[in-house]
Amino acid sequence: MRSVHLLVPALLLLLAFPVSRGRYNDDFDDGEDIADFDDNDFAEFEDMNDDQEEEDEDEATVELEDGLDGFEDSEAQDQDMYSKYDQEEFEGIGDMEKGHSMKDPLIIHTVPAHLQNSWESYYMEILMVTGLLAYIMNYLIGKNKNSRLAQAWFNSHKELLESNFALVGDDGTSKEAVSTGKLNQENEHIYNLWCSGRVCCEGMLIQLKFLKRQDLLNVLARMMRPIGDQVQIKVTLNEDDMDTFVFAVGTKKVMAKLQKEMQDLSEFCGDKPKSGAKFGLPDSLSILSEMGEVTDGVMDNKMVHYITNNAEKIESIHFSDQFSGPKVMQEEGQPLKLPETKRTLLFTFNVPGMGNTSPKDMESLLPLMNMVIYSIDKVKKLRLNREGKMKADRNRARVEENFLKQTHAQRQEAAQTRREEKKRAEKERIMSEEDPERQRRLEEAAQRREQKKIEKKQMKMKQIKVKAM
Amino acid sequence: MMSFNNVSDPRRQNKILRYKAPSTETNPTLEDPTPDYMNLLGMIFSMCGLMLKWCAWIAVYCSFISFANSRSSEDTKQMMSSFMLSISAVVMSYLQNPQPMSPPW
Repeated sequence: MRSVHLLVPALLLLLAFPVSRGRYNDDFDDGEDIADFDDNDFAEFEDMNDDQEEEDEDEATVELEDGLDGFEDSEAQDQDMYSKYDQEEFEGIGDMEKGHSMKDPLIIHTVPAHLQNSWESYYMEILMVTGLLAYIMNYLIGKNKNSRLAQAWFNSHKELLESNFALVGDDGTSKEAVSTGKLNQENEHIYNLWCSGRVCCEGMLIQLKFLKRQDLLNVLARMMRPIGDQVQIKVTLNEDDMDTFVFAVGTKKVMAKLQKEMQDLSEFCGDKPKSGAKFGLPDSLSILSEMGEVTDGVMDNKMVHYITNNAEKIESIHFSDQFSGPKVMQEEGQPLKLPETKRTLLFTFNVPGMGNTSPKDMESLLPLMNMVIYSIDKVKKLRLNREGKMKADRNRARVEENFLKQTHAQRQEAAQTRREEKKRAEKERIMSEEDPERQRRLEEAAQRREQKKIEKKQMKMKQIKVKAM
Repeated sequence: MMSFNNVSDPRRQNKILRYKAPSTETNPTLEDPTPDYMNLLGMIFSMCGLMLKWCAWIAVYCSFISFANSRSSEDTKQMMSSFMLSISAVVMSYLQNPQPMSPPW
C-alpha cells in the first residue's frame, strides 16, 4: 500500500513537468522530460531537426499550393501539441482573450499642438511677427521719405534765406551764434529752422510739419481721411517793426475755426469773416480784420498777386501785435492773468500733393517764401493814420479792462471764500473749547473784531461819498 | 563801429537772436501726447501679458509705436526699457505656456 502511495505523487510530478515545460517552451513539445535528454547537448535538438525536416517537407509541398496552407499546418501542429495536455487546463483562455478585446477599445488621442512638430500651428505668432516686420519696414521708408522732402525744401530755399538772414539754422545749444546751415530735426516728421539777424524782425521760425509717414497706424488712418503736409512760418517782431493791428486771411473753414480758437482774433476781430472776392482775392478765401483801414493797407497789389497765384497752397496768414496763441483754458480758482503778447506774423502753407508729396512739391513753395519776406518789409512800413491808431488803442484798452474786471470778480470771489473759511475755522475752535470761560472770552473777541470791520467799511463809504461830492 | 552793408542787403549781424525752444508749459496743446500714452499702454499690457499672450504681443506693438512717434530729445533709456519689458513679457508667456496663441474667433 505504501508503494502505491508513493507512486501516485511520483506520477503526478512526472505529469506536471511536461505540462509546465510545454507552456513556455515549444521546442520540447514532443512530450519528453528534460531529464530524459542525454549529456549530448544537441540531443534535445535532434527531434526538432526532424520536426523541421518534416515541416520543410510539408512546406515544400505547401509552396506550390496556397500559402495559407503552411499556417494551417502549423495551427494543426499547435493543436496537436495542446491535445497532448489536459484540456481542462486551457479552459477559459479563449474567453479571456475575447474579453480583453471587448473591454479596451483603442483610443487614438490627438497630439497636443505644442508637441506637434509643425510650424503651421503657430500661424498667429507668424502673423504677429510679420506685422512687426511690416511696421519696421514702413518706419524706415517713411522716415527716409520725410527726410528727403525736408532736404529738398531746404536745398531750394537755402539761397533765399542766406541772402536775407545773418543766422540760418540754430539749435540754441552751441556757445556762439554760428549758422548750422541745416535743419533741426525735432522728430521723424517735424523739422525746424531758426533764422535771425535781419532788419525789420527779431527772427523767423520755420516748421516743416510732415505727415507721420513713419507710423503705420497713421498711414492707415490717412487712407480714411487724407491730409497734407504743412509748412508753418512764425516771424517775431519788435515794437518798432509793427504797428498795432490784427489781421488774418485764409480759407473760409480755417478762418471760422481761428476766430473761435485764437485769443486775439476772437477779441479784436469780432465781425464775421468777409469774403476775399471784395478785395480781389479768390472766393475761397476770407478775411478777418480789426478795421477796414488795416485790410486796405495789407492787401496791396503785390500781396493780392502773391495770394491769388498761390491760393491753393495758403491755409492762413495771420498778422497781429496781440498774438498770444490759442485760448488757454484757465483752471478754476486761479486768477486770470493777462496773457503775454508778441508782435507776430504767422503763415501756414499746405504742401501740394495731399500726402503724396514729391520733392518737386516742396520746391514749389519758394514763391511763398518770397511773399513772407515781402510781408516782413511791408508790415514795417505800414502805419495806421491818426483815426486808426486811436481806434486800435481804444480796442486794446477795452480788452484790458475786460480782463481786469474778470480778474477782479474772480479775486473777490476768492477773497470771500477765504474769509468764510476763516470764520468757520474760528467758530469751530470756539465750539471745541472745553473751558466755558475761555469760550466766552473768545466769542467776545470775535464779536469785537467784526464790529471794527464794519466800522472801517462805513468810514470808507463816507470818504468815497465825500470825494464824489 | 558800423559796417555799411550794401543798401539792399537786409542782413544784420548785430540783430541776431539765439533760438529758444518754445516752452510747452504755455502751450500744452502743441505737444503730441502719443508717445507717452503708448509708453504707458505698453507697460500695462506687458503686465497683463504674463497672463494673456495677446496682451504681450500688443505691448510689443505699443512700444514700437511709441518709439516711432517719440521726439529726438526724449531719453532713449526710457524707450529701450519699455521695449525690453514688452519683449520679456512675450518670452516669459511662451516659456510658461508654449502652446500657440488661439485666435479670438
